[in-house]
Amino acid sequence: MAAVQDGQLNLEVEKDIKTEITNDGSGNINANSSSPGSTSSGGKSKSPAGSGEDQQTLLAVLQFLKRNKLTESVDILRREAGLSADADDSPVSESAGAGSGGVPSVGADGGDANSLLSRVSIATPVAPPATAPPKVVAASGGEDQPDVNVVLSAYSQQGDPVLYPLYYNGLKKFIESVLDCHRAELSQVFYPLFVHMYLELVYNNHENEAKQFFEKFSGDQECYYEEDLRILSSMSKKEHMKGNETMLDFRTSKFVLRISRDSYQLLKRHLQERQNNQIWNIIQEHLYIDIFDGMPRSKSQIDAMSGSLAGEGKRDANKAKVFYGLLKEPEIEVPLDDEDEEAENEEGKPKKKKPKKDSMGSKSKKQDPNAPQQTRIPLPELKDSDKLDKIMNMKEATKKIRLGPDNLPSICFYSFLNAYQGLTAVDFTDDSSLIAGGFADSTVRVWSVTPKKLRRVKSAADLSNIDKESDDVLERIMDEKTASESKILYGHSGPVYGISFSPDRNYLLSSSEDGTVRLWSLQTFTCLVGYKGHNYPVWDTQFSPYGYYFISGGHDRVARLWATDHYQPLRMFAGHLADITCTLFHPNSNYVATGSADRTIRLWDVLTGNCVRILTGHKGPIHSLAFSPNGKFMASGATDGRVLLWDVGHGLMVGELKGHTDTIYALKFSRDGEILASGSMDNTVKLWDTLKAFDDVELDDFTAATGHIHLPENSQELLLGTYMTKSTPVIHLHFTRRNLLLAAGAYNP
Amino acid sequence: GSNVKMASPKTVPKDAQVMIQILKDMGITEYEPRVINQMLEFTYRYVTTIIEDAKIYATHAKKNIVDADDIRLAIQCRMDQSFTSPPPRDFLLDVARQKNQTPLPLIKPYTGPRLPPDRYCLTAPNYRLKSIQKKVSSSAGRITVPRLSIGAVSSRPSTPTLGTPSVQSVTTKVGTPVSLSGQRFSVQIPSSQTAASKSSTPSTPMVQNVLINPSLIGSKKILITTNMVSQNSASESLKRKHEDDDDYDAL
Repeated sequence: MAAVQDGQLNLEVEKDIKTEITNDGSGNINANSSSPGSTSSGGKSKSPAGSGEDQQTLLAVLQFLKRNKLTESVDILRREAGLSADADDSPVSESAGAGSGGVPSVGADGGDANSLLSRVSIATPVAPPATAPPKVVAASGGEDQPDVNVVLSAYSQQGDPVLYPLYYNGLKKFIESVLDCHRAELSQVFYPLFVHMYLELVYNNHENEAKQFFEKFSGDQECYYEEDLRILSSMSKKEHMKGNETMLDFRTSKFVLRISRDSYQLLKRHLQERQNNQIWNIIQEHLYIDIFDGMPRSKSQIDAMSGSLAGEGKRDANKAKVFYGLLKEPEIEVPLDDEDEEAENEEGKPKKKKPKKDSMGSKSKKQDPNAPQQTRIPLPELKDSDKLDKIMNMKEATKKIRLGPDNLPSICFYSFLNAYQGLTAVDFTDDSSLIAGGFADSTVRVWSVTPKKLRRVKSAADLSNIDKESDDVLERIMDEKTASESKILYGHSGPVYGISFSPDRNYLLSSSEDGTVRLWSLQTFTCLVGYKGHNYPVWDTQFSPYGYYFISGGHDRVARLWATDHYQPLRMFAGHLADITCTLFHPNSNYVATGSADRTIRLWDVLTGNCVRILTGHKGPIHSLAFSPNGKFMASGATDGRVLLWDVGHGLMVGELKGHTDTIYALKFSRDGEILASGSMDNTVKLWDTLKAFDDVELDDFTAATGHIHLPENSQELLLGTYMTKSTPVIHLHFTRRNLLLAAGAYNP
Repeated sequence: GSNVKMASPKTVPKDAQVMIQILKDMGITEYEPRVINQMLEFTYRYVTTIIEDAKIYATHAKKNIVDADDIRLAIQCRMDQSFTSPPPRDFLLDVARQKNQTPLPLIKPYTGPRLPPDRYCLTAPNYRLKSIQKKVSSSAGRITVPRLSIGAVSSRPSTPTLGTPSVQSVTTKVGTPVSLSGQRFSVQIPSSQTAASKSSTPSTPMVQNVLINPSLIGSKKILITTNMVSQNSASESLKRKHEDDDDYDAL
């Protein structure tokens, strides 16, 4: 399975950090598998390696003697071992690397006798089984978070901190001197190298050096890393590092770089021929260089794909087959109706010459090779009410307006007044009859869009009074007395960040900052279930297009797949490095897309839980996702104001729509996929021509293999219209069944 | 919209100046002026909590002064308690791997609303009715469920509503038509006895609400409910209304 399990690459075994540099076939790069810390000493520099270990022991003994006030022994030992007076102050010395040779680096850090001793004492039982040198084991003096410690201990001192800027500068000079075509690619190394070096300095308590290093080189980095750099600059002590989950994840996962073979050879040769092995060590440990054969990429190509927290997606990650086709529609007999002049036979083929829609009643009985099997995942069977709904759907679909560049949809905007910036989530039902709003005051409100009021089912007392045999019993069970335009649902204890109607309009889901997802009944307007699992804010939730399943994603970086009748999730999709801000089902309900604050989009397989696509390119947290109705393409919008278009089957970026100036919170394809509507915080709705955007894409073998698309700068041509609201950010978009565009937002003067 | 109103440095207290600087360092450029106050309040509360905790730890360790170790311990404990962070990534990957191994469960057809077992739902009633124990008469054992059918009500609705006249508690003061107009009365029967009695209503024992055909009593509706737990809110609101009316005596 080409599915990506990031965990397999990292600290499975506690003390073993595998460093690999793999390539795509030719094996002239050896995979280094070595333990942390001794990477440098064991791997590269040979001569001081032996004395390095001894030095450690000597220093430890020295400290021990000092502690027990055996001063004479201390002097004797010092004299005999030839240690200088202040050499024993550095507990963390890995006498590795060319820079320091055999002299333990004198880092004026906080390593006092205590920590060294604790390290020594703990080391002995552990040293035999583990290959790690003592200091790695109890790096922070015995806290009870082994994972964190092991993670952080990846930052063994690899050289004199004072020399770090020199190393970095040296690399900078080298890269500036290479050929133009290679320079762009090799410049990708700067950012991860910078971050890892900085964090190493911080971890080893070289606060001043770290600050100087940061000041000197942070300005060189790409502009889209600005946010991350700011977070980094606030972390100047080791304690700060521990509290930041995202940075810890950054440590354990390898930053992925995609470099052409030629460029890589250049870099490797340069780093190995000089004695400058610090950088080489860091690269080996913390970077994953995905090598490809072919032309080096240009700066614009690289810029388009980079920006995520962990580099780009590996090519392997995007190799799994994704069944992006739609499931076959069930065959439904449409009863002949006097009003509608259409008749359909059992195959779903209309007899009259109505414009035929692709998604309805596919003519071929053969399985679409790109579509999943009907039974790949269990789906609920159609109830009678669902069949009626489908018939309604088909009838409405015949009245659908065909949209296009010359036939733009009308837009109907629903403004929430007096929300006082409290509107946090909106959803429409598929037939556009109800709107639900989630608010920061933890209420959920449901409105009826049509003149028909919202009715609750009567109480049991009243229900027993009705005539159960009458034809309109479904009307009679509704309580007329409490009918109202809107209903308020109370139950959450925090702002409601995600809202989703079920396709059959019976249920409403809401997810909130209190960590729960609540299922509300729209028949009784009461809360039915609270699904607990996330213990942290849940930023988004969504029902499957077929009902029964739903997903939720939140601050704990995990998306969960639930079924309404299980109180625990069925699947957990773990792998993101930062909060999951946006979740969406694929139209065939077999895949789930999640957008995250780590600036990647991942596509997960519902059946196995594996991540089948990692899509990078956004430069900010992703806040909206949309699948095209045919399931082939996906659009995503983020805080950087760009809409990116993706080909799901190949896992490639096929378009970039620039135009918005602020976060894009709403994206929707029209019912046939001809138009993409995007709504943003800059108070506009923009319409884009997707037929043209997807037509222009040429996917030949080369691009499919390497993933290098040259994106045309055609945003202006694709933009069909910009519609401004009166200081109302647009947070939700919805195409009705007849292709009227509905938009929603809270008026925010 | 958010606008930054920076008061002139001379009038802003030092704490606020520090907070403004912190916000600037963290890259936050647009914020409402209330944010500074909120941050200052939070800071004050957090620091005092830590210092108080540290004082307790120092006393526990029989030290006279609070030193850095106490503060460190206080911060650590508070961190584990209030400012927890989500689980680490490898742990999540592990749990996810385990969870994703089980196949997706099959969906049973035709089961009505698909909800988890009742105890995981929020559909249970969250109230219980108070039983009127003091009204139980000696013939408690012979109480039958009100046998109400449309035709069974005679012109004296008070007693025919109940199987035996000895049933205690509320009967309707139907005698005075005036008082009944539009009112509802509830008969309360302790649930324990109801279970023992035979139910004459053909439906399940849970159905206890029976409505007398209004035509027999004019426009008055008499709603008889029992003290069984019922699933609707409308009737229980009726019950609650009259729970305190203990002055309905058995006739």
